[in-house]
Amino acid sequence: MALSRDEIMDKVREALVDALGVDEDEVLPTARIGGDLGAESIDYLDIVFRLEKAFNIKIPRGDLFPDNILSEEFVRDGKLTDKGLQELKTRMPYANLEAFEKNPNVQDIADLFTVDMIVKYIEAKLGGAGA
Amino acid sequence: MKFYLVDRILELEPPKRIVAVKNLSMAEEYLADHFPAYPVMPGVMMLEALVQTAAWLVRVTTRFEKSLILLKEARNVRYGSFVRPGGQLVMEVTALEIGPDASQFKAIGRCEEQVAVQAKLTLEHLNVADEAPDRADIDAMLRPFWQERFRLVGGPQALAAAAARKP
Repeated sequence: MALSRDEIMDKVREALVDALGVDEDEVLPTARIGGDLGAESIDYLDIVFRLEKAFNIKIPRGDLFPDNILSEEFVRDGKLTDKGLQELKTRMPYANLEAFEKNPNVQDIADLFTVDMIVKYIEAKLGGAGA
Repeated sequence: MKFYLVDRILELEPPKRIVAVKNLSMAEEYLADHFPAYPVMPGVMMLEALVQTAAWLVRVTTRFEKSLILLKEARNVRYGSFVRPGGQLVMEVTALEIGPDASQFKAIGRCEEQVAVQAKLTLEHLNVADEAPDRADIDAMLRPFWQERFRLVGGPQALAAAAARKP
């Protein structure tokens, strides 16, 4: 079943409204799940669960929101190491990492999780979509 | 197991207002997983800390009448900056209304002048005996327990300071 990007956006919006208790009109493509929509750790689990149900897909742990990145291997003094940045790029091909790369503070990682990033992830998972 | 998330009550003006603090220690076990290389206070713990702060205001205002003070609803919960080990969450809770069975609050937690968490809270208050009359013994045990904890977190001192400030 091929969904258009708009249809994907609608379902993502619904999942976020249900998970985070925000209004529909707050769920803009550029909205950050954390900073703008108020999600915190436990919400990310809820969001993944709702997306799995909405799109009838499996989202492996850490595939959408890479939680393994916050380990000693990839972090030093509150910043991602080069290895960490590489790992992040591999795990989040749909995120825009340009600005983040210049100053990769761990506390800013959550800013990379935008609504648009989720839509792109779902699109790719569903095997491409028409406009 | 219960997490006691109020370390000390700094200001106490029943029925209106309370300010309390929670110091985040590297030794708190849940930090090991949240997150391994970047420990920060989980959002849900920040929210619970606000709830416990509000609960103290309920207890003092209602003279420890009800032994169970529970979160009924949290609305407009927003998170801001992280609280890291060594940091102190300063929780300011203002009561909109405190009734015998329920209460409403605006709560805000700050760390180093930045807002870490804020929420609108509805709490409900009850005695176990209200639901199970044959278990009034639990209430009889809890009431002095919470009064002792009130002393542990500097409650009487905060009340005295507030009284001293009154004209």
